[in-house]
Amino acid sequence: MRLYEFEGSALFRQEGIAVPDYAVTASPQEARQKAQEIGLPVIIKAQILVGGRGLAGGVQTADSLEQVGEVVHRILDRPIKGFPVHRVMVAQKVEVEREFYLGVTVDGYSGTPMVILSAGGGVSIEEVARIHPEQVASRQIPITKGLSLSEAQEMAQEVGLEQEELEQVASTLHILYDVFRKYDALVTEINPLVRTSKGRYLAVDAKVEVDDASLYRHPDFQVALEDRILNALERKGHQIGVTYVDLHGQIGIIASGAGLGMASMDIINQRFRPANFLETGGAISAELLYKIMDLVLQKKGLKGIFINLYGGINPIHDGARGIVSYIREHKITIPIVAKVLGNRQEETWEILKQQGITVVTEVATEKAVEQLAQLLEGEK
Amino acid sequence: MSILLSRETRVLVQGITGRAGRAQTKWMLEYGTNIVAGVTPGRGGEEVEGIPVYDTVTEAVVERGAEASVFFVPPASVKAAALEAIEAGIKLIVIVTEHVPTHDAMEIRAYAKGQEIRLLGPTSPGIITPGEAKMGIMPGNMFTAGRIGVISRSGTLAYEISADLSAAGLGQSTVVGMGADAVVFTNMPELLELFENDPDTDLVVIVGEVGGIQEEKATHFIAHRMAKPVIAYIAGRSAPEGKRMGHAGAIIHGNMGTSQSKVTALRQVGVEVAEYPLQIVELVRRRLIRMKEVPNGTEDNQGIL
Repeated sequence: MRLYEFEGSALFRQEGIAVPDYAVTASPQEARQKAQEIGLPVIIKAQILVGGRGLAGGVQTADSLEQVGEVVHRILDRPIKGFPVHRVMVAQKVEVEREFYLGVTVDGYSGTPMVILSAGGGVSIEEVARIHPEQVASRQIPITKGLSLSEAQEMAQEVGLEQEELEQVASTLHILYDVFRKYDALVTEINPLVRTSKGRYLAVDAKVEVDDASLYRHPDFQVALEDRILNALERKGHQIGVTYVDLHGQIGIIASGAGLGMASMDIINQRFRPANFLETGGAISAELLYKIMDLVLQKKGLKGIFINLYGGINPIHDGARGIVSYIREHKITIPIVAKVLGNRQEETWEILKQQGITVVTEVATEKAVEQLAQLLEGEK
Repeated sequence: MSILLSRETRVLVQGITGRAGRAQTKWMLEYGTNIVAGVTPGRGGEEVEGIPVYDTVTEAVVERGAEASVFFVPPASVKAAALEAIEAGIKLIVIVTEHVPTHDAMEIRAYAKGQEIRLLGPTSPGIITPGEAKMGIMPGNMFTAGRIGVISRSGTLAYEISADLSAAGLGQSTVVGMGADAVVFTNMPELLELFENDPDTDLVVIVGEVGGIQEEKATHFIAHRMAKPVIAYIAGRSAPEGKRMGHAGAIIHGNMGTSQSKVTALRQVGVEVAEYPLQIVELVRRRLIRMKEVPNGTEDNQGIL
């Protein structure tokens, strides 16, 4: 789960990383008042979870209170990449003398936290690493030992920092690693950390992503997860406990297992366009499949549905009942092809067939997609 | 014995008294798995499907000689249970549990490092040596015994591809579900090495998917240290950028983790990559025929003894 910048900033401040004075607001009036308290000039930043907000006009400077009002109004008024902006951050504009990049992330392949430090910040870290590799230091950290302050200092030294700068950046990196561990983060990143003309070190951006699987031990974040899923159908998927990914085609997909779902999508994509990816998770029941049908059918312009399920301890016959009752109640007439295998498969096939669903008993997904193609192309 | 698991392996089920633990224990026993004990803290003295339940892994090891453990433990308890199993001297751990916190997975992996133990998962469907034994939730009827090794990042897709192979008379030596999370305990090259050294495996099929760099990293091993042929399929060619496709590890970041990146890397080291799952069968069959046609001395036949 990504945190909003203002949430990340609050977390940083709480854990001992200094950030510029800021306020969060949803109104131009309040923004002006806050700007006055903070002191002009200020930077107004759209609080959204999609990347590239700067280029889309979501980050702007204001030198006067009138301008604060105007800018805030404009940013709140205009969606960024199709998503509405509900809040802005009004932050003190600081005079920057130097920028640094600090990041902690999960190195999936080595299975360790990875700490990255760069003496050049503000731009993408990949870019700095390519042009000035000597300015970038990275380390895999043995998680049972953690990152010590002296190791952070070594890294700061590696990228050419000295004295006060070395001390300040290393100590911030050390805290950033602790924030990563304490909050079960997948990413904690400061891009950039700045040294101001007054010699202060401030995190002027805050990127934090918390591991969804760990939210049970961070109840403060747990309540907020759902609100952050921007796509309405994907949000609904999350509410009913499945993974739904909204796509642009006409064939609805319902699959158990992510790999099988992706393979179904790839095969269907040869001839048609998938309308969605949907992975049922392990809790198949009549009720869940009923809700899944309802979700998939909310997509406009659907021409067919492709169901690809395996049942182990999952009662697929029960799931089939949910599918059938949805079709009956809502008088669904678009073609549906189902390949459903596993425990009690014969019984499951009977239930589906009686409702007019085309049942494929072969194992290969390709064969089932051929059936769907015949149904759809036969209709033309 | 194929790799990691045989009919002799003495298997422990951790979390045996839960709903999934009970049901899967029954099916693993029916398949022929040598389950010797179960563990659920506080439930010692009970029995599940005739299998004695202990409070601790150490008891199961001492009393019943357990050497491998399969997990049906809830996510929040996986770390403690895994550390306990490692401490007790278990040599193979298969974690079926989904949604294990990433930091816990990193800690378990760090703890196991340098010890003589193999872990699979989290979010692994398990491991099966067809005709002998299975640990996990793979449906036995999709697999047949044979000489193809399968390494999969996914569960149900591994079943389907194994069943496709089985239907064509191409049985499997061992099918390994390596787990679908961003951090897994055993990386792909290590599994390739096990199959490379296994006299009962002639060829390896990789069932990969978008996200991460497992397949890219595997190419180095394939190019330099692998004589047996490898055939692959990568799911998610049509997956959009930036979305988690049902597995925690299946997410494309920019150009990283795309199907194209993996397919290109694999093809560069001579791996034939199927466009669609069923095509694997044809690629495997053709490759095996080529191996038989060249009886001596070339790279192609080193797998057959």
